[in-house]
Amino acid sequence: MVVFLILFTALFAIILAYTFYKRRVARHKKIWQEKITNLISEIIFLNEDEPLPATLIPDNKKLLLKRGFRHDIIDELIHAKKNLSGSFTINLIKLYELLKLDQDSVKKLNHPKWHIKSKGIHELSSMKQIKYAKEIFRLTNNENDFVRNEAQSALVSFYGFSGLRFLNVATYPISEWQQILFLNKLNNVQPKELQAIGKWLQSPNESVVVFSLKLATNYNCYQFYGAVIECLHHSSLQVKINALEYLKKMPGEDLHDHIMGYYGGENKTLKLLILDILKDTGSEKELNFLLKQLHNSDDGIKAAAAQTISSLHPLGPSFLQSQLFAEEYPWNEIFLQIENDHAA
Amino acid sequence: MTILVAEDEMMMLKTIELRLKKDGHTIILCQDGREAIKKIEELTPDLIITDIMMPYASGLEIIGAVKMKGGRKIPIIVLSAMGQENVVLEAFQLGADDYITKPFSPNELSVRVKRYIPEAIQM
Repeated sequence: MVVFLILFTALFAIILAYTFYKRRVARHKKIWQEKITNLISEIIFLNEDEPLPATLIPDNKKLLLKRGFRHDIIDELIHAKKNLSGSFTINLIKLYELLKLDQDSVKKLNHPKWHIKSKGIHELSSMKQIKYAKEIFRLTNNENDFVRNEAQSALVSFYGFSGLRFLNVATYPISEWQQILFLNKLNNVQPKELQAIGKWLQSPNESVVVFSLKLATNYNCYQFYGAVIECLHHSSLQVKINALEYLKKMPGEDLHDHIMGYYGGENKTLKLLILDILKDTGSEKELNFLLKQLHNSDDGIKAAAAQTISSLHPLGPSFLQSQLFAEEYPWNEIFLQIENDHAA
Repeated sequence: MTILVAEDEMMMLKTIELRLKKDGHTIILCQDGREAIKKIEELTPDLIITDIMMPYASGLEIIGAVKMKGGRKIPIIVLSAMGQENVVLEAFQLGADDYITKPFSPNELSVRVKRYIPEAIQM
């Protein structure tokens, strides 16, 4: 009974102490939050050429020595920067630099734990600290996905297209999501020099080749036509798909000969893509090739070939109806689909 | 003009307050949706600026509460994050008058607010 009472009292004391501690932390956090809000409000509406008030540091000297307070300011500055635009963001960066918060971020960048490291990169990137690009570049091929992705994104944020130079040394895969992010960031950028894409198309890293094909397609780089044709013989299906997407957008004079010669040895996905390219860019010259595809054992390929023929032949769908058993399955359904497409 | 601002992020709330006070407006601050709805029931602001995603009650619920209250029309400006186009459409269907996508410049907000001054005073 006595033991039970002692244990109960100890447990009660621990809970009480923990609750007290938590409340104290919460109270501190609230006070800090108010201080930080006031600090940022003091500078946010200053004009671009106006210096930050000299009293900022002396007024908050004690608090600025606390690591937790400095981390909270960084978080708040990044958050405010995400929500605000225009000259206000310049003042946020000025405050970050005045309080030497970049040194805190660099400490995180050099931390052995991956989540702290990637947070450090994110902070430096958000606060446009280009002076640390060299340190960040070293992390673009880090073994940890999060660190690597954050470092790569930071370089693209700093330098735009030129920031993609990490692709020269990337040995880890660039994820699909990461590629979308880069393309989104580069959406409104028109680079002067695109020759690097040619080098990336030869990369031993499959994802780099895929991404460079997307870049070449986005920037309408016809100069890489020959290299993209070579990509049709790559071992990766994704590379081939993206090469065909490029060729669909930028067909060369000899494209049809290339893809029709290549068609036989490829799988259904690529065959359908080739038929789609022929539908968009072909002519009556390709009809013989297409008529042969009507005898393919796969109904999907039959349907795609029939649709391509209907759009290329001067007589349209009626040419096919005169050639085939239009009332029999699967042709009856294929024709119905073609007629619906034509009507639309 | 009396403007009710509902925004859960303290920093944003303070920034909006400072900018609009500069223009001579009286600002009522609310840090969550429930507080905003309560204040709308008690007071009648000339304009409401509300974030969409907030604790306890969303910006859409605030628009609904304004509609329920009836009386004179209170213009509503919605603050939305990028990629919330569907929610913005819903806000317009519910009766919002304007929206601003984050990140935004407080100066832009100030200009948009000015558009509603005559409307608020005339009604």
